[in-house]
Amino acid sequence: MTDSATAAFIARALTEATGLLRGPQRIVPLLQQVVSDKLRITFEPRHLYSYTSTKRASGATLNSLLHWILDAQRPDGGIAAYYSLLTGYSESYPEVTGYLVPTLYDYARTAHDQGGIVAAERATRWLLSLQMPAGAFPGGLHGGETQPSVFNTGQILQGLVRAYTETKRPEVLQAAVAAGDWLVRMQQPDGSWSGLGTYQNVAHSYYSMVAWALAELSEGTADPQYGRAAEKNLNWVLSHVRPSGWIDSINLQGHPTYLHFIAYVLQGILECGILRRRSDAIQAVEKPAWVLLRKFETNKYLAGTYEPDFKSGQRFTCLTGNAQMSCVWLRLFELTDDLRYLNAALKMNEMLKQLIPARGRRGIVGGVSGSYPVWGRYQPLRYISWGCKFLADALLLEQRLTGSLEGFAFEALPCAS
Amino acid sequence: MRIVILCSSAYSETACAVAVCLAKSGYVPVGALALSTLGRGTLLRKLGQWGVRGVTSYARGKLISHGDGSARLSNPYLEPVLRHGGLVFRSLREVAAAYGFPVAVCNNQNAPDSIAHLRAWSPDLIIFTGGNILRKELLEVPRLGVLNVHLGLLPEIRGMSSPEWSLLNRVPVGITIHFMDTGIDTGPILQRCEFSDAARCETLSDLRNRLIAFGVAKVADAVAGLDRGTISATCQSDLDKDNQFFVMHESLQARAAERLTKSRQAAVAGTVHG
Repeated sequence: MTDSATAAFIARALTEATGLLRGPQRIVPLLQQVVSDKLRITFEPRHLYSYTSTKRASGATLNSLLHWILDAQRPDGGIAAYYSLLTGYSESYPEVTGYLVPTLYDYARTAHDQGGIVAAERATRWLLSLQMPAGAFPGGLHGGETQPSVFNTGQILQGLVRAYTETKRPEVLQAAVAAGDWLVRMQQPDGSWSGLGTYQNVAHSYYSMVAWALAELSEGTADPQYGRAAEKNLNWVLSHVRPSGWIDSINLQGHPTYLHFIAYVLQGILECGILRRRSDAIQAVEKPAWVLLRKFETNKYLAGTYEPDFKSGQRFTCLTGNAQMSCVWLRLFELTDDLRYLNAALKMNEMLKQLIPARGRRGIVGGVSGSYPVWGRYQPLRYISWGCKFLADALLLEQRLTGSLEGFAFEALPCAS
Repeated sequence: MRIVILCSSAYSETACAVAVCLAKSGYVPVGALALSTLGRGTLLRKLGQWGVRGVTSYARGKLISHGDGSARLSNPYLEPVLRHGGLVFRSLREVAAAYGFPVAVCNNQNAPDSIAHLRAWSPDLIIFTGGNILRKELLEVPRLGVLNVHLGLLPEIRGMSSPEWSLLNRVPVGITIHFMDTGIDTGPILQRCEFSDAARCETLSDLRNRLIAFGVAKVADAVAGLDRGTISATCQSDLDKDNQFFVMHESLQARAAERLTKSRQAAVAGTVHG
């Protein structure tokens, strides 16, 4: 760890630790959650037949996730990054607020709940107020960093494109185009983003999520320059795929490679590949998705971090990464008709649903913790808004795809030939 | 031929039926090695597979005798094989007593003492009816290899929930008798038999039970064929393809059950009209 990273770590640890002094009432839910997770990991055996039956309805869990998100929305429209068991709600997080917008619209449509639309519109208005003159959005929590961020701008762009699709408001389109233009300007000749505006000033393969956002903008505006930029990044990311399916250059210096970031890479490639009709991109995702599927099916568990070539990492669960993998498998099922992807996603969703607190105070009930157990290395002792987002996405996809199974053409299955 | 049976429990109906079939064909096993029924691993696996209610019901069926002194079988299609005089064999120990072979119990089939036990029987062939994932050291004990009856057609459907996956993927339902290797259902195939009565099955568990009985009946023939040299194993093709399937989620099982019902209705309609 560098000196500045160490200093930041110590400052964060002190802030978190003093949180309990400022809010001693939080000690009870903290102890409850720690004891509950300890008991669960001690006594809940995982075996080949785990998670094959539904113990909690997906619809009810989806509602509780959305309630958590709506509870985390501030009066200004921004959505908190997390609820900490030590310090309570964080400041609003522009990045997550941005990519929660599509989830809120999808939920509103599925559940016929206007609350989702109202929340999405408030979030969009808040985001527009944050845009920098150059078109970028700032990184970090609201009120913190003022530096423009490529990744966060890409994530927010996803929300703006969707908000424009839903509302057709010209100022939203204008903001989306400005963000897209800034991203295109910042792109390196090789297709990556590095230097100014990137995390640790280096290129990252998980910025495939930015490529996805640009591909969406290209679809939404019918402007090919964004599509070209998206494919340029896609080509750069695909040049880092190893024969094992592992994708290099996640490049989180000083951090382990969390499943969340591996899944980001895969989601970005897959969704960008779908939008750009790039079968090579979809095929490139199938290999790592299958490696992780086998690991999950065999162990009923995905590690919180992985070493290159998917060598086993740390033994905690990164719930967000699990929910993202569920999304990847569901989308691959949609593309390939291979029911094994659907099967794995259904079981993954069962596992995740069981880990959502059904009771507890605001900030906890219906939330997705960073890690399981809650003290695991990824976002320890926190319920994170992006965890709720990805699990809600996975459950929404599950509902859509299992609903469409009624007319599924079983005869046409390609597997096992 | 010296044959040993490996099973997940001394109360395994499948293992009992295999032992009886072999004995009736002149191949009385030289021994059987069962996992301890009350072992933690076995209990957890069965709880996971059947749930608390299923395990309780199974235990009740094994422990409580009926009016005729027989036990209730969880697989009724094995009853013709297991009926012995006026009784029905309830455990491998009863079969062993009737045909004269020893039964040993272990907590892990791969453990050194289990392997030593198996070596002492110097088997030509081991027939696996359930238990642990077998390690290389155990697989190398018998002269000819370890045989498994897989409830699906290989190489198309490897792994778990094979009958259900066969239904959903429109692969014919059947069984495969194959030698085991360190992969999942990847060893050389001795016999592949399609099951033509799937359309008569009421439920998925009915289909499984019938398939097990079908497989048990075929094992003795396969052993005899192997002994006489009339059949031989062939290596699987498509090993590079990932045809492994995993335990099926209940919502997909419901689809497989629907498929079974439709097949039955089509078969009934065919009978009525044709």
